[in-house]
Amino acid sequence: MERDTLRRLEMLNQLSLTDAQKEDVIAFFAARDAELKTLEAIDTSDTERMVHVMPIMTVVRDDVIIKTFSREALQQGAPETDEGYWCVPRVVE
Amino acid sequence: MRYETVIGLEVHVELATKSKIFCSCSAHSFGAEPNDHVCPACCGMPGMLPVVNRRVVDYGMKAGLMLNCHINRTTTFDKKSYYYPDLPAAYQTTQWFAPVAVNGLVEIETSKGKKNVRIKQIHMEEDAGKLVHDIREDTTHVDFNRTSVPLIEIVSQPDLSSAEEVEAYLERLKMLLRYAKVAECEMAHGTMRCDVNLSVRPEGSDKLGVRTEMKNMNSVEAIKRAIEYETARHIDALENGTEVLVQETRRWDDIKGKSFAMRTKETAGDYRYFPDPNVMPVVIDDEWFESISATLPEFPEVKKARYTEELGLGEYDADQLTKSIALCECFETAYEACGSAKDAANWMISEVMSILNARKMTYDMLDINGRALGELIVLVSSGKVGRANGKKILAAMFDDNTILPEKYAEANGFIVSNDTGLIEKTVKAAIEADPKAVSDYKSGKEKAIMSIFGKCMKELRGNCDPQVLRKILIDTINNM
Repeated sequence: MERDTLRRLEMLNQLSLTDAQKEDVIAFFAARDAELKTLEAIDTSDTERMVHVMPIMTVVRDDVIIKTFSREALQQGAPETDEGYWCVPRVVE
Repeated sequence: MRYETVIGLEVHVELATKSKIFCSCSAHSFGAEPNDHVCPACCGMPGMLPVVNRRVVDYGMKAGLMLNCHINRTTTFDKKSYYYPDLPAAYQTTQWFAPVAVNGLVEIETSKGKKNVRIKQIHMEEDAGKLVHDIREDTTHVDFNRTSVPLIEIVSQPDLSSAEEVEAYLERLKMLLRYAKVAECEMAHGTMRCDVNLSVRPEGSDKLGVRTEMKNMNSVEAIKRAIEYETARHIDALENGTEVLVQETRRWDDIKGKSFAMRTKETAGDYRYFPDPNVMPVVIDDEWFESISATLPEFPEVKKARYTEELGLGEYDADQLTKSIALCECFETAYEACGSAKDAANWMISEVMSILNARKMTYDMLDINGRALGELIVLVSSGKVGRANGKKILAAMFDDNTILPEKYAEANGFIVSNDTGLIEKTVKAAIEADPKAVSDYKSGKEKAIMSIFGKCMKELRGNCDPQVLRKILIDTINNM
């Protein structure tokens, strides 16, 4: 973990770490990096890729339209609505 | 120095399902009130759980097979996090680690010949909502009807090098996806959208230049103009140092004919992709895979070869008919009903396509009953209905596809009667009204009787055999 990367992640996640916390994070990732390098040394070319840690799969549903909620019910907790729209502070495009 | 343009496309295609990808709300909101097709799942409410629409996977798989891709039999969904008001959960559920289809190939043809474009991957994902900025000045209005509408994103490798190739590639995608009936692919309707990644490099170099991305282009003409502008801008920057090129996302303003920087280009890290814990892997077993493979349509080239080799059609006719799956299906059903491939092709190309063009309809909008067209062809070729009236029946079939041609012909007096008494009476009246044409004919101008022939046919409303009418007309004049 480079300091620049950490600074970027702080910004993306809207976090503000103290210097001590930053040192902890860098040390933590340095240790993980060493572990990963050990794992990378193993030849996995014949190993099937794992996509999930558990042998489970999703259920799927049929392509059928079911109306479950009214707009009014969904917008009950909205701070502001107008003509059926949710309202948010103006976005400048 | 000579430069070459390197282009890769990300094409978003809205899948033609009834309901959304992760909930049962309608996926079609055209004409609907804002936020009328929404539920807690597509509104990103806390605690909601997505449930995958099977047909979305069917269509994703089918699109992959049409583009010669390898299908990942275990495919997974991931979260792509970014914050914007049109994305209520603050992440988009998409596919990053194991997309449904990878490593495909699409062949295109341009004025320079044929070329293969490699497909990196096709992934399934949900669409975002719509923001409306012009209702009030202080507020942006949000409509979530479009959130979670199913999309596939088709990501090409940077194998394209000109606006012409991009156009050919997009047309080929449209054709193949429409043949498979997985999507409408109509840029004007927003059911096909395109992001263009472009860079420029010295000709012959194997090193890619600085890449810019232009987002959400929604017409082929605009894409072509944008590519030409952006290519010139890059070359100008490299040759004359007019600006420093940076990797960024740009917006194309088609009215001004210019692109403008929007933001520096995000990288995958910015989106913090991670497996969506709410959606388990989709496992496509052999039975599921085979059921989709079995429904793949005949490819356009295979169909064209069959039309020429088995049905005896000419190259031109086969080429015209295979431009759209709707044309092919109508033609094939009409052929089954009338028994003559040539007659069916003739009616499709000369009459059906003329009406489509006159009504400014695309070929894929054709919605007449092919069986009824076959019956109409039999009525006309057997002489039971005149060709002119046959065209009127066909026009009526465009307005109402439940029309049965024979019943319609009877109800509208279009059945050829060949009532010789009536024909003779009509001929006599027409001859008396045009003595000059008669004398011209008798003096050797054979074509002179065509005006009388036309008047008779009009008087009889087209309901007589032209051969019968012609014989009675000539006999009557010769006996005068």
